[in-house]
Amino acid sequence: MTPSEKASDFFHFYFKRLKSEPYLKINFVFAGVILIVIAYSGIFSPDKNNYPVVCIHEKVTGFPCFSCGLSHSFSLIVRGRISEAFQWNIYGMRVFLFFVLQLVMRIFFSVSFLKNGNSRNWLIRYDIAGTIILFAIAFYPFFRQLVLSLF
Amino acid sequence: MEESKTNSGQNLGIAALITAIITFVLAVIPCVGMIAIIPGIIAIVLASVGLSQAARQNYPKGVLIAGLIIGIIAVMISFSQFFVAGKIARHADKWPNEINNIINDVKDNVLKDLEDANVSIKIESNGDTVSINAKTSAKKKDREQKLEDLESGNKLNNDTIRKGK
Repeated sequence: MTPSEKASDFFHFYFKRLKSEPYLKINFVFAGVILIVIAYSGIFSPDKNNYPVVCIHEKVTGFPCFSCGLSHSFSLIVRGRISEAFQWNIYGMRVFLFFVLQLVMRIFFSVSFLKNGNSRNWLIRYDIAGTIILFAIAFYPFFRQLVLSLF
Repeated sequence: MEESKTNSGQNLGIAALITAIITFVLAVIPCVGMIAIIPGIIAIVLASVGLSQAARQNYPKGVLIAGLIIGIIAVMISFSQFFVAGKIARHADKWPNEINNIINDVKDNVLKDLEDANVSIKIESNGDTVSINAKTSAKKKDREQKLEDLESGNKLNNDTIRKGK
């Protein structure tokens, strides 16, 4: 069996199982959402400044918020202009890395889920724990700022 | 029939969980945190409908409960963004006055420091250097007088004007 036939078989098997396994459905949707975020960053240009999503916080208060410049930052990271990305939003890189790692995790855990029939519950637990830790690390500055602003 | 009902309950649970998690991520980001309340409510409704179906037909509820809890937390975070924005907007009215006060304080401090300062001005042009040293320990009126004298070209005893290359 050639590698292309193997890959074709795997995808056929994956899409067949996708209908019956909620975990695979969730992974599939999340991977799609992350790809949309990356595509959004690639399509809209920081030089043209043509982003459709505006900061509602700035519209309401008249002051830029903690997450202003994230779209610019993501677009610059996608284009490899890392130092400029840091200038737009210092936390852009860690949030972008969270999304990229999540994309890798969705693919990795989906493949592992299909291959390891006996340890599926453990895989899901590892996935949830890893995702919570990554989320906490990536979004900690936003949580901190929110809590400080509230109290 | 039974299987299609199970699938619909399961699909509602998955839809609720996915919407809730996306809402959660959006709610944390201040730029879009306020609009996250809409998908948050959708997630709660989906999870609630799914739970009521699951309760009637005795189906597994794990995904639905997870979707409901994450949805509620996400809506709470999103709602708190309204409070934060409101708080900033309220304080924003006071900020211009506070900034003015700070500027005035700094201005007063600088003027106070200048009262006892020795001023030294050095001008260099085309290799020529002119330096003016003025003692400002005298009172304000005296300093004004000295300044007028300097402007009119009179040399003062206490001050030095040196010219050199």
